[in-house]
Amino acid sequence: MAEARPILIDADAMLGRHPRRDVGGGTVDELLAALDRVGIAEAVVGNMTAWLHDPHRGNAQLLDLVKDQPRLHPCWVMLPDSCGELGADFAEEAVAKGVRAVRAFPRDHGYHLAGADAAVVLHALARVRLPLLVDAPQVDWPTMETIARAHPALRIVVGAAGYRMLRQIAGAMERNVNVHLGTADLSSHCGLEWLVARFGAGRIVFGTGQPYRDPAEAVTRLLWSELGDADVATIGRGIV
Amino acid sequence: MNDLARAVWERRSQQATRIVDAHAHAGPYSVFFIPEPDPGPMIRVMDRCGVSHAVFSSHLAIQLDAAAGNAATAAIVAEAPDRFTGYITVNPWQDPLAELGKWGDDPRFGGIKLHPDLHEYPLNGSRYAPVWELAELTGCPVLTHTFAGSPYNDMPMLDEVAERHPGATILAGHSGVTPLGIDQAIEVAERRPGVILEVCGSHNSGADIARMVRRVGADRVVYGSDFPFIDLRMSLGRVLFADLTDNERAAVLGGTISGLLEWR
Repeated sequence: MAEARPILIDADAMLGRHPRRDVGGGTVDELLAALDRVGIAEAVVGNMTAWLHDPHRGNAQLLDLVKDQPRLHPCWVMLPDSCGELGADFAEEAVAKGVRAVRAFPRDHGYHLAGADAAVVLHALARVRLPLLVDAPQVDWPTMETIARAHPALRIVVGAAGYRMLRQIAGAMERNVNVHLGTADLSSHCGLEWLVARFGAGRIVFGTGQPYRDPAEAVTRLLWSELGDADVATIGRGIV
Repeated sequence: MNDLARAVWERRSQQATRIVDAHAHAGPYSVFFIPEPDPGPMIRVMDRCGVSHAVFSSHLAIQLDAAAGNAATAAIVAEAPDRFTGYITVNPWQDPLAELGKWGDDPRFGGIKLHPDLHEYPLNGSRYAPVWELAELTGCPVLTHTFAGSPYNDMPMLDEVAERHPGATILAGHSGVTPLGIDQAIEVAERRPGVILEVCGSHNSGADIARMVRRVGADRVVYGSDFPFIDLRMSLGRVLFADLTDNERAAVLGGTISGLLEWR
Protein backbone atom coordinates (compact mmCIF):
# COMPACT_ATOMS: atom_id res chain seq x y z
CA MET A 1 0.00 0.00 0.00
CA ALA A 2 2.74 2.45 0.95
CA GLU A 3 5.74 3.07 -1.28
CA ALA A 4 7.81 4.59 1.52
CA ARG A 5 7.30 4.01 5.20
CA PRO A 6 6.04 7.06 7.09
CA ILE A 7 8.31 8.65 9.64
CA LEU A 8 6.70 8.54 13.05
CA ILE A 9 7.72 11.10 15.67
CA ASP A 10 6.17 10.47 19.04
CA ALA A 11 4.98 13.73 20.62
CA ASP A 12 3.92 12.05 23.84
CA ALA A 13 6.67 10.08 25.58
CA MET A 14 8.28 10.16 29.01
CA LEU A 15 11.53 9.17 30.66
CA GLY A 16 11.64 7.88 34.21
CA ARG A 17 9.93 5.33 36.41
CA HIS A 18 6.22 5.42 37.16
CA PRO A 19 5.05 5.05 40.76
CA ARG A 20 1.85 3.14 39.96
CA ARG A 21 2.94 0.80 37.19
CA ASP A 22 6.02 -1.27 36.36
CA VAL A 23 7.35 0.49 33.26
CA GLY A 24 10.93 -0.59 33.81
CA GLY A 25 13.69 1.82 34.65
CA GLY A 26 12.55 4.58 32.34
CA THR A 27 16.07 5.09 31.01
CA VAL A 28 17.13 6.62 27.73
CA ASP A 29 18.33 3.21 26.52
CA GLU A 30 14.99 1.62 27.38
CA LEU A 31 13.08 4.35 25.57
CA LEU A 32 15.26 4.02 22.47
CA ALA A 33 14.73 0.25 22.51
CA ALA A 34 10.98 0.79 22.82
CA LEU A 35 11.04 3.15 19.82
CA ASP A 36 12.98 0.60 17.79
CA ARG A 37 10.66 -2.25 18.78
CA VAL A 38 7.70 -0.56 17.09
CA GLY A 39 9.57 1.46 14.45
CA ILE A 40 9.24 5.03 15.78
CA ALA A 41 11.98 7.35 14.53
CA GLU A 42 12.08 10.08 17.19
CA ALA A 43 10.27 11.26 20.28
CA VAL A 44 9.48 14.43 22.16
CA VAL A 45 10.02 13.37 25.75
CA GLY A 46 9.07 14.69 29.13
CA ASN A 47 10.46 13.64 32.46
CA MET A 48 8.44 11.80 35.12
CA THR A 49 10.39 13.78 37.72
CA ALA A 50 9.02 17.02 36.34
CA TRP A 51 5.48 15.61 36.38
CA LEU A 52 5.41 13.59 39.58
CA HIS A 53 8.04 15.15 41.85
CA ASP A 54 9.63 18.51 41.07
CA PRO A 55 9.07 20.38 37.79
CA HIS A 56 12.13 22.60 38.23
CA ARG A 57 14.52 19.73 38.91
CA GLY A 58 12.86 17.45 36.37
CA ASN A 59 13.10 19.99 33.55
CA ALA A 60 16.80 20.53 34.28
CA GLN A 61 17.50 16.78 34.49
CA LEU A 62 15.75 16.21 31.20
CA LEU A 63 18.16 18.42 29.30
CA ASP A 64 21.05 16.34 30.58
CA LEU A 65 19.32 13.08 29.74
CA VAL A 66 18.68 13.94 26.09
CA LYS A 67 21.66 16.20 25.32
CA ASP A 68 23.51 13.55 23.26
CA GLN A 69 20.41 11.89 21.87
CA PRO A 70 19.52 13.17 18.41
CA ARG A 71 16.31 11.11 18.38
CA LEU A 72 14.98 12.56 21.62
CA HIS A 73 13.70 16.12 21.97
CA PRO A 74 12.94 17.69 25.34
CA CYS A 75 9.47 18.67 26.54
CA TRP A 76 9.30 20.75 29.72
CA VAL A 77 6.57 20.93 32.31
CA MET A 78 5.08 24.39 33.00
CA LEU A 79 3.76 25.93 36.18
CA PRO A 80 2.18 29.32 36.74
CA ASP A 81 4.85 31.68 38.01
CA SER A 82 2.88 32.77 41.08
CA CYS A 83 5.49 31.22 43.40
CA GLY A 84 8.49 31.92 41.21
CA GLU A 85 9.30 28.22 40.74
CA LEU A 86 10.29 28.14 37.08
CA GLY A 87 11.14 31.77 36.45
CA ALA A 88 9.43 34.59 34.62
CA ASP A 89 11.37 33.81 31.43
CA PHE A 90 10.32 30.16 31.33
CA ALA A 91 9.17 30.20 27.70
CA GLU A 92 12.18 32.08 26.38
CA GLU A 93 14.54 29.85 28.34
CA ALA A 94 12.82 26.77 26.96
CA VAL A 95 13.34 27.91 23.40
CA ALA A 96 16.95 28.81 24.09
CA LYS A 97 17.59 25.32 25.42
CA GLY A 98 16.01 23.48 22.53
CA VAL A 99 12.75 22.50 24.20
CA ARG A 100 10.19 21.47 21.57
CA ALA A 101 6.97 21.49 23.58
CA VAL A 102 5.60 22.16 27.06
CA ARG A 103 3.26 20.03 29.10
CA ALA A 104 0.75 21.18 31.70
CA PHE A 105 -0.61 19.08 34.57
CA PRO A 106 -3.04 21.52 36.21
CA ARG A 107 -4.96 18.84 38.11
CA ASP A 108 -1.86 17.11 39.46
CA HIS A 109 -0.03 20.38 40.17
CA GLY A 110 -2.94 22.19 41.77
CA TYR A 111 -3.61 25.26 39.63
CA HIS A 112 -6.27 26.51 37.24
CA LEU A 113 -5.13 26.37 33.63
CA ALA A 114 -7.62 29.10 32.66
CA GLY A 115 -6.69 31.28 35.63
CA ALA A 116 -4.80 34.56 35.57
CA ASP A 117 -1.51 33.05 36.80
CA ALA A 118 -1.29 30.40 34.10
CA ALA A 119 -2.40 32.92 31.47
CA VAL A 120 0.92 34.71 31.67
CA VAL A 121 2.80 31.52 30.84
CA LEU A 122 0.37 30.47 28.11
CA HIS A 123 0.68 33.88 26.51
CA ALA A 124 4.46 33.53 26.52
CA LEU A 125 4.27 30.02 25.02
CA ALA A 126 2.11 31.32 22.20
CA ARG A 127 4.56 34.16 21.61
CA VAL A 128 7.52 31.78 21.23
CA ARG A 129 5.39 29.27 19.31
CA LEU A 130 5.85 26.34 21.67
CA PRO A 131 2.96 23.87 21.59
CA LEU A 132 1.15 23.01 24.82
CA LEU A 133 0.44 19.34 25.57
CA VAL A 134 -2.34 18.57 28.05
CA ASP A 135 -3.85 15.18 28.82
CA ALA A 136 -7.64 15.17 28.84
CA PRO A 137 -7.91 13.91 32.44
CA GLN A 138 -6.00 17.01 33.59
CA VAL A 139 -8.61 19.55 32.56
CA ASP A 140 -12.26 19.69 31.49
CA TRP A 141 -13.25 20.62 27.96
CA PRO A 142 -14.86 23.98 28.82
CA THR A 143 -11.54 25.01 30.39
CA MET A 144 -9.69 23.77 27.33
CA GLU A 145 -11.93 25.94 25.16
CA THR A 146 -11.45 28.93 27.41
CA ILE A 147 -7.67 28.85 27.04
CA ALA A 148 -7.95 28.11 23.31
CA ARG A 149 -10.06 31.26 22.84
CA ALA A 150 -7.89 33.36 25.12
CA HIS A 151 -4.69 32.29 23.32
CA PRO A 152 -5.63 31.73 19.68
CA ALA A 153 -1.98 31.52 18.60
CA LEU A 154 -1.28 28.75 21.11
CA ARG A 155 -1.21 25.27 19.58
CA ILE A 156 -2.89 22.97 22.10
CA VAL A 157 -2.56 19.19 21.79
CA VAL A 158 -4.92 17.16 23.97
CA GLY A 159 -3.76 13.63 24.71
CA ALA A 160 -5.25 10.59 26.44
CA ALA A 161 -8.71 11.31 25.08
CA GLY A 162 -9.83 7.69 25.49
CA TYR A 163 -12.98 6.45 23.79
CA ARG A 164 -15.79 8.24 25.63
CA MET A 165 -15.25 11.89 24.70
CA LEU A 166 -16.15 12.45 21.04
CA ARG A 167 -19.30 14.40 21.94
CA GLN A 168 -17.15 16.93 23.79
CA ILE A 169 -14.14 16.79 21.47
CA ALA A 170 -16.06 17.46 18.27
CA GLY A 171 -17.57 20.74 19.40
CA ALA A 172 -14.35 21.99 20.94
CA MET A 173 -12.39 21.24 17.77
CA GLU A 174 -15.08 22.77 15.57
CA ARG A 175 -15.01 26.04 17.49
CA ASN A 176 -11.25 26.25 18.10
CA VAL A 177 -8.85 25.64 15.25
CA ASN A 178 -5.88 25.70 17.62
CA VAL A 179 -7.12 22.60 19.48
CA HIS A 180 -5.49 19.39 18.26
CA LEU A 181 -5.75 15.79 19.42
CA GLY A 182 -2.94 13.42 20.25
CA THR A 183 -3.23 9.76 19.29
CA ALA A 184 -2.18 8.29 22.65
CA ASP A 185 -5.22 6.31 23.78
CA LEU A 186 -7.35 7.95 21.09
CA SER A 187 -9.38 4.80 21.00
CA SER A 188 -12.95 5.39 19.76
CA HIS A 189 -13.88 2.74 17.20
CA CYS A 190 -13.22 4.35 13.80
CA GLY A 191 -12.75 7.62 15.68
CA LEU A 192 -9.45 8.53 14.05
CA GLU A 193 -10.95 8.35 10.57
CA TRP A 194 -14.07 10.21 11.73
CA LEU A 195 -12.00 13.05 13.19
CA VAL A 196 -9.76 13.36 10.14
CA ALA A 197 -12.81 13.48 7.86
CA ARG A 198 -14.26 16.36 9.92
CA PHE A 199 -11.18 18.35 10.84
CA GLY A 200 -8.32 17.16 8.63
CA ALA A 201 -5.16 15.25 9.43
CA GLY A 202 -3.43 18.45 10.46
CA ARG A 203 -5.48 18.51 13.65
CA ILE A 204 -4.19 15.10 14.80
CA VAL A 205 -0.74 14.60 16.32
CA PHE A 206 0.97 11.23 16.64
CA GLY A 207 1.79 10.34 20.24
CA THR A 208 1.97 7.11 22.19
CA GLY A 209 1.80 7.90 25.89
CA GLN A 210 4.75 5.59 26.52
CA PRO A 211 6.01 4.14 28.73
CA TYR A 212 2.72 4.01 30.69
CA ARG A 213 0.97 3.07 27.47
CA ASP A 214 2.27 0.49 25.01
CA PRO A 215 3.44 2.43 21.94
CA ALA A 216 2.29 -0.48 19.76
CA GLU A 217 -1.29 0.76 20.27
CA ALA A 218 -0.79 4.12 18.58
CA VAL A 219 1.49 2.72 15.87
CA THR A 220 -0.97 0.00 14.90
CA ARG A 221 -3.98 2.30 15.14
CA LEU A 222 -2.41 4.83 12.77
CA LEU A 223 -0.71 2.54 10.26
CA TRP A 224 -3.68 0.15 10.04
CA SER A 225 -6.13 3.02 9.82
CA GLU A 226 -8.27 3.55 6.75
CA LEU A 227 -6.52 6.87 6.12
CA GLY A 228 -4.45 7.52 3.02
CA ASP A 229 -0.67 7.60 3.15
CA ALA A 230 -0.54 11.40 2.97
CA ASP A 231 -2.76 11.77 6.04
CA VAL A 232 -0.76 9.13 7.91
CA ALA A 233 2.44 10.99 7.10
CA THR A 234 0.95 14.29 8.27
CA ILE A 235 -0.17 12.80 11.58
CA GLY A 236 3.04 10.83 12.01
CA ARG A 237 5.22 13.91 11.85
CA GLY A 238 3.82 14.99 15.20
CA ILE A 239 4.84 18.40 16.48
CA VAL A 240 8.51 18.50 15.54
CA MET B 1 9.97 -7.61 13.34
CA ASN B 2 7.56 -10.54 13.00
CA ASP B 3 5.34 -11.07 9.93
CA LEU B 4 2.29 -9.47 11.51
CA ALA B 5 4.12 -6.37 12.72
CA ARG B 6 5.67 -6.10 9.27
CA ALA B 7 2.17 -6.11 7.77
CA VAL B 8 1.28 -3.18 10.02
CA TRP B 9 4.29 -1.23 8.82
CA GLU B 10 3.57 -2.10 5.19
CA ARG B 11 -0.03 -0.96 5.75
CA ARG B 12 -1.45 -4.19 4.35
CA SER B 13 -3.91 -6.65 5.86
CA GLN B 14 -2.12 -9.53 7.54
CA GLN B 15 -2.73 -13.03 6.19
CA ALA B 16 -0.21 -15.03 8.23
CA THR B 17 -2.44 -15.92 11.17
CA ARG B 18 -6.11 -16.66 11.71
CA ILE B 19 -7.12 -13.93 14.16
CA VAL B 20 -10.27 -14.45 16.19
CA ASP B 21 -11.44 -11.62 18.43
CA ALA B 22 -12.80 -13.20 21.62
CA HIS B 23 -14.38 -10.04 23.03
CA ALA B 24 -16.49 -7.89 20.76
CA HIS B 25 -19.85 -6.11 20.73
CA ALA B 26 -22.02 -4.47 18.07
CA GLY B 27 -24.31 -1.51 17.75
CA PRO B 28 -24.67 1.90 19.41
CA TYR B 29 -24.11 2.62 23.11
CA SER B 30 -25.79 5.61 24.73
CA VAL B 31 -23.01 6.64 27.09
CA PHE B 32 -20.75 7.88 24.30
CA PHE B 33 -20.73 8.38 20.54
CA ILE B 34 -19.33 5.53 18.45
CA PRO B 35 -18.77 6.26 14.75
CA GLU B 36 -20.00 3.37 12.62
CA PRO B 37 -20.93 0.91 15.38
CA ASP B 38 -22.79 -1.56 13.17
CA PRO B 39 -21.68 -4.95 11.79
CA GLY B 40 -20.93 -3.79 8.25
CA PRO B 41 -18.24 -1.29 9.26
CA MET B 42 -17.00 -3.77 11.86
CA ILE B 43 -16.35 -6.30 9.09
CA ARG B 44 -14.65 -3.58 7.05
CA VAL B 45 -12.25 -2.89 9.93
CA MET B 46 -11.66 -6.63 10.42
CA ASP B 47 -10.79 -6.93 6.73
CA ARG B 48 -8.51 -3.91 6.90
CA CYS B 49 -6.41 -5.67 9.52
CA GLY B 50 -6.90 -9.33 8.65
CA VAL B 51 -9.14 -10.38 11.52
CA SER B 52 -11.10 -13.44 10.45
CA HIS B 53 -13.76 -13.75 13.10
CA ALA B 54 -15.22 -12.06 16.17
CA VAL B 55 -17.20 -13.45 19.09
CA PHE B 56 -19.56 -10.76 20.32
CA SER B 57 -22.56 -9.69 22.36
CA SER B 58 -24.71 -6.84 21.11
CA HIS B 59 -24.60 -3.58 23.04
CA LEU B 60 -28.37 -3.77 23.23
CA ALA B 61 -28.06 -7.06 25.11
CA ILE B 62 -25.52 -5.91 27.69
CA GLN B 63 -26.83 -2.36 28.13
CA LEU B 64 -30.62 -2.62 28.10
CA ASP B 65 -32.50 -5.76 27.18
CA ALA B 66 -30.99 -9.24 27.11
CA ALA B 67 -33.89 -10.82 25.21
CA ALA B 68 -34.03 -8.21 22.45
CA GLY B 69 -30.26 -7.97 22.40
CA ASN B 70 -29.70 -11.71 22.10
CA ALA B 71 -32.16 -11.77 19.21
CA ALA B 72 -30.16 -8.94 17.61
CA THR B 73 -26.95 -10.91 18.14
CA ALA B 74 -28.48 -14.00 16.51
CA ALA B 75 -29.64 -11.94 13.53
CA ILE B 76 -26.18 -10.48 13.00
CA VAL B 77 -24.59 -13.94 13.08
CA ALA B 78 -27.19 -15.22 10.64
CA GLU B 79 -26.14 -12.49 8.19
CA ALA B 80 -22.42 -13.29 8.43
CA PRO B 81 -21.86 -16.69 10.08
CA ASP B 82 -18.32 -16.95 8.74
CA ARG B 83 -17.35 -13.70 10.48
CA PHE B 84 -19.30 -13.72 13.74
CA THR B 85 -20.25 -16.00 16.62
CA GLY B 86 -22.52 -14.77 19.39
CA TYR B 87 -22.35 -14.73 23.15
CA ILE B 88 -25.66 -15.25 24.92
CA THR B 89 -25.90 -12.30 27.28
CA VAL B 90 -27.30 -13.23 30.67
CA ASN B 91 -28.65 -10.33 32.70
CA PRO B 92 -29.38 -11.70 36.17
CA TRP B 93 -32.38 -9.38 36.46
CA GLN B 94 -33.90 -10.48 33.15
CA ASP B 95 -34.80 -14.16 33.40
CA PRO B 96 -31.50 -16.01 32.87
CA LEU B 97 -33.23 -19.37 32.47
CA ALA B 98 -35.37 -18.07 29.63
CA GLU B 99 -32.37 -16.74 27.70
CA LEU B 100 -30.31 -19.89 28.20
CA GLY B 101 -33.30 -22.00 27.27
CA LYS B 102 -34.05 -20.03 24.14
CA TRP B 103 -30.51 -19.79 22.77
CA GLY B 104 -28.49 -22.52 24.50
CA ASP B 105 -28.83 -25.00 21.65
CA ASP B 106 -28.56 -22.41 18.88
CA PRO B 107 -25.29 -22.88 16.97
CA ARG B 108 -25.09 -19.14 16.29
CA PHE B 109 -23.95 -18.80 19.89
CA GLY B 110 -20.62 -20.08 21.14
CA GLY B 111 -20.50 -18.77 24.68
CA ILE B 112 -22.18 -16.81 27.44
CA LYS B 113 -21.52 -13.16 28.33
CA LEU B 114 -21.85 -11.72 31.85
CA HIS B 115 -21.44 -8.03 32.74
CA PRO B 116 -21.80 -7.78 36.52
CA ASP B 117 -20.70 -4.11 36.64
CA LEU B 118 -23.32 -2.97 34.14
CA HIS B 119 -26.06 -5.04 35.75
CA GLU B 120 -24.99 -4.14 39.30
CA TYR B 121 -25.08 -7.75 40.40
CA PRO B 122 -22.13 -9.67 41.85
CA LEU B 123 -20.38 -12.35 39.82
CA ASN B 124 -20.73 -14.75 42.74
CA GLY B 125 -24.47 -14.09 43.14
CA SER B 126 -27.01 -16.92 43.05
CA ARG B 127 -28.90 -15.54 40.04
CA TYR B 128 -25.97 -16.67 37.89
CA ALA B 129 -26.36 -20.31 39.05
CA PRO B 130 -27.93 -21.54 35.78
CA VAL B 131 -24.96 -20.13 33.86
CA TRP B 132 -22.42 -22.09 35.87
CA GLU B 133 -24.55 -25.22 35.70
CA LEU B 134 -24.72 -25.04 31.92
CA ALA B 135 -21.03 -24.17 31.61
CA GLU B 136 -19.93 -27.15 33.71
CA LEU B 137 -22.34 -29.50 31.97
CA THR B 138 -21.48 -28.56 28.39
CA GLY B 139 -18.10 -26.83 28.33
CA CYS B 140 -19.69 -23.65 26.98
CA PRO B 141 -17.21 -20.83 27.80
CA VAL B 142 -18.35 -17.87 29.88
CA LEU B 143 -16.89 -14.42 29.24
CA THR B 144 -17.31 -12.16 32.24
CA HIS B 145 -16.36 -8.53 32.61
CA THR B 146 -13.77 -8.07 35.37
CA PHE B 147 -12.40 -4.90 36.98
CA ALA B 148 -10.10 -4.70 39.98
CA GLY B 149 -11.77 -3.04 42.94
CA SER B 150 -15.30 -3.35 41.57
CA PRO B 151 -18.03 -4.40 44.03
CA TYR B 152 -19.44 -6.66 41.33
CA ASN B 153 -16.56 -8.35 39.45
CA ASP B 154 -13.37 -7.98 41.43
CA MET B 155 -10.63 -10.60 41.17
CA PRO B 156 -11.48 -12.33 44.48
CA MET B 157 -14.99 -12.91 43.15
CA LEU B 158 -13.55 -14.45 39.99
CA ASP B 159 -11.37 -16.64 42.17
CA GLU B 160 -14.34 -17.73 44.27
CA VAL B 161 -16.51 -18.59 41.28
CA ALA B 162 -13.70 -20.48 39.56
CA GLU B 163 -13.04 -22.46 42.74
CA ARG B 164 -16.71 -23.25 43.18
CA HIS B 165 -17.12 -24.30 39.53
CA PRO B 166 -13.88 -26.02 38.53
CA GLY B 167 -15.45 -27.50 35.42
CA ALA B 168 -16.38 -24.12 33.96
CA THR B 169 -14.25 -22.32 31.40
CA ILE B 170 -14.26 -18.68 32.46
CA LEU B 171 -12.79 -15.97 30.26
CA ALA B 172 -11.70 -13.12 32.52
CA GLY B 173 -12.66 -10.16 30.33
CA HIS B 174 -10.02 -7.40 30.46
CA SER B 175 -8.03 -9.47 32.99
CA GLY B 176 -8.90 -7.00 35.73
CA VAL B 177 -8.17 -3.88 33.57
CA THR B 178 -5.70 -2.02 35.84
CA PRO B 179 -2.04 -2.86 36.49
CA LEU B 180 -3.06 -4.28 39.87
CA GLY B 181 -5.99 -6.11 38.31
CA ILE B 182 -3.74 -7.71 35.70
CA ASP B 183 -1.39 -8.97 38.41
CA GLN B 184 -4.31 -10.38 40.36
CA ALA B 185 -5.90 -11.96 37.28
CA ILE B 186 -2.66 -13.80 36.52
CA GLU B 187 -2.54 -15.08 40.09
CA VAL B 188 -6.14 -16.30 39.89
CA ALA B 189 -5.42 -18.03 36.58
CA GLU B 190 -2.40 -19.76 38.10
CA ARG B 191 -4.62 -21.12 40.89
CA ARG B 192 -7.69 -21.95 38.77
CA PRO B 193 -7.13 -23.97 35.58
CA GLY B 194 -10.55 -23.01 34.22
CA VAL B 195 -9.70 -19.32 34.07
CA ILE B 196 -8.59 -17.91 30.69
CA LEU B 197 -7.08 -14.42 30.50
CA GLU B 198 -8.68 -12.14 27.90
CA VAL B 199 -6.51 -9.13 27.15
CA CYS B 200 -8.53 -6.11 25.99
CA GLY B 201 -8.76 -3.00 28.15
CA SER B 202 -7.36 0.49 28.38
CA HIS B 203 -4.36 -0.32 30.56
CA ASN B 204 -2.96 -3.55 29.17
CA SER B 205 0.37 -3.74 27.33
CA GLY B 206 2.41 -6.14 25.25
CA ALA B 207 4.73 -6.61 28.21
CA ASP B 208 1.81 -7.69 30.38
CA ILE B 209 0.52 -10.04 27.70
CA ALA B 210 3.96 -11.63 27.38
CA ARG B 211 4.02 -12.01 31.16
CA MET B 212 0.61 -13.69 31.09
CA VAL B 213 1.86 -16.18 28.51
CA ARG B 214 4.99 -16.92 30.51
CA ARG B 215 3.01 -17.49 33.69
CA VAL B 216 0.00 -19.50 32.48
CA GLY B 217 0.79 -20.49 28.88
CA ALA B 218 -0.49 -19.30 25.53
CA ASP B 219 -3.32 -21.83 25.72
CA ARG B 220 -4.76 -19.76 28.59
CA VAL B 221 -4.53 -16.29 27.02
CA VAL B 222 -6.87 -14.94 24.32
CA TYR B 223 -6.95 -11.79 22.23
CA GLY B 224 -10.05 -9.63 22.50
CA SER B 225 -10.61 -6.04 21.46
CA ASP B 226 -13.94 -4.88 22.93
CA PHE B 227 -14.70 -3.30 19.55
CA PRO B 228 -16.70 -1.23 18.68
CA PHE B 229 -16.72 -0.11 22.32
CA ILE B 230 -12.98 0.51 21.83
CA ASP B 231 -11.20 0.42 18.49
CA LEU B 232 -10.09 -3.09 17.55
CA ARG B 233 -6.55 -2.00 16.69
CA MET B 234 -5.59 -0.82 20.19
CA SER B 235 -5.52 -4.28 21.78
CA LEU B 236 -4.44 -5.97 18.57
CA GLY B 237 -1.31 -3.82 18.30
CA ARG B 238 -0.19 -4.83 21.77
CA VAL B 239 -0.29 -8.50 20.81
CA LEU B 240 1.32 -8.02 17.41
CA PHE B 241 4.40 -6.29 18.81
CA ALA B 242 4.64 -8.26 22.09
CA ASP B 243 7.68 -10.36 22.90
CA LEU B 244 6.11 -13.71 21.98
CA THR B 245 7.17 -16.57 19.75
CA ASP B 246 5.24 -17.02 16.51
CA ASN B 247 3.43 -20.03 17.96
CA GLU B 248 2.53 -18.19 21.16
CA ARG B 249 1.26 -15.19 19.21
CA ALA B 250 -0.84 -17.40 16.94
CA ALA B 251 -2.38 -19.11 19.96
CA VAL B 252 -3.23 -15.82 21.68
CA LEU B 253 -4.59 -14.28 18.49
CA GLY B 254 -6.90 -17.11 17.59
CA GLY B 255 -5.79 -20.66 18.28
CA THR B 256 -6.79 -20.74 21.92
CA ILE B 257 -10.26 -19.24 21.53
CA SER B 258 -10.97 -21.37 18.47
CA GLY B 259 -10.37 -24.47 20.56
CA LEU B 260 -12.61 -23.20 23.35
CA LEU B 261 -15.45 -22.62 20.89
CA GLU B 262 -15.45 -26.28 19.85
CA TRP B 263 -17.51 -27.45 22.82
CA ARG B 264 -20.71 -28.37 21.01
